[in-house]
Amino acid sequence: MKVLLISNDAGGYAHHVEAPDNTTVQQMFERHVGTFHADSYLIRVNRQPAAADQPLRDGDRVSFTPLKIEGAI
Amino acid sequence: MAKLLYLRDVGPSEVGGFGISNADDLLLVEDIQLVEQVCSVVSVEFDDDSVADFFDQQVDMGRQPEQFARIWIHTHPGASPSPSGTDEETFERCFGGVNWAVMHIIAVEGNTYTRARFNVGPGTERRLRSRVEFDFEFPAADHEAWFIEYCDNVTVDDPFTSRRPFAESYDLDWWEQTPSAADRWSDSLLEAVS
Repeated sequence: MKVLLISNDAGGYAHHVEAPDNTTVQQMFERHVGTFHADSYLIRVNRQPAAADQPLRDGDRVSFTPLKIEGAI
Repeated sequence: MAKLLYLRDVGPSEVGGFGISNADDLLLVEDIQLVEQVCSVVSVEFDDDSVADFFDQQVDMGRQPEQFARIWIHTHPGASPSPSGTDEETFERCFGGVNWAVMHIIAVEGNTYTRARFNVGPGTERRLRSRVEFDFEFPAADHEAWFIEYCDNVTVDDPFTSRRPFAESYDLDWWEQTPSAADRWSDSLLEAVS
């Protein structure tokens, strides 16, 4: 299956990637980002929050975006 | 740059956003885009869902993350643009896993701080000098659109009142200076003359 992966990590992703059927969100994260540390990212599938064990389907849009971007003096 | 200065000065708080880079020159910032955020005079905090929405919108527009998610820009009150501990922690935590990223801070009094970090190979960091590039075309100022973008995204966290979107405080005309004694005297004089 193919999913659209959006992530800023490493070189950045915003393109379709191949994945085996029934790949979970966590497996996708570990494959493309690294050790699963969900507390550092907002993980969404088709623009909705997703659980780590949610299986992905062909055509899904998966995004890993940073949490708590904040500045102060 | 004009938009950044406008956004910095239009409200009573810090403000932040992402730089949108030229596709062929990633260190040439052509626009700054706000996301929903809660700001105070001394802090800015992006809304996580709004950041994710921003990523989706930018990808739908055909951009890659290196064009819209690598240059983090925010303002500081006063004269010092030096990054705080919070700034450094965010730069490390949120941008430490990308190949490269830039933190740009502009203080109210005009001083700037720009630093790039490169996370590939041995990794390194380098201060950059920022400047306005006049050799490239740029769109005209659009204060109305910029103001609407500000109102749509910025919630001012005033410790002396409840949190509220900037648009609500707009009605309070907070930025209008109270009439000076000379103004009052002038008005009184006109009334007396008429």
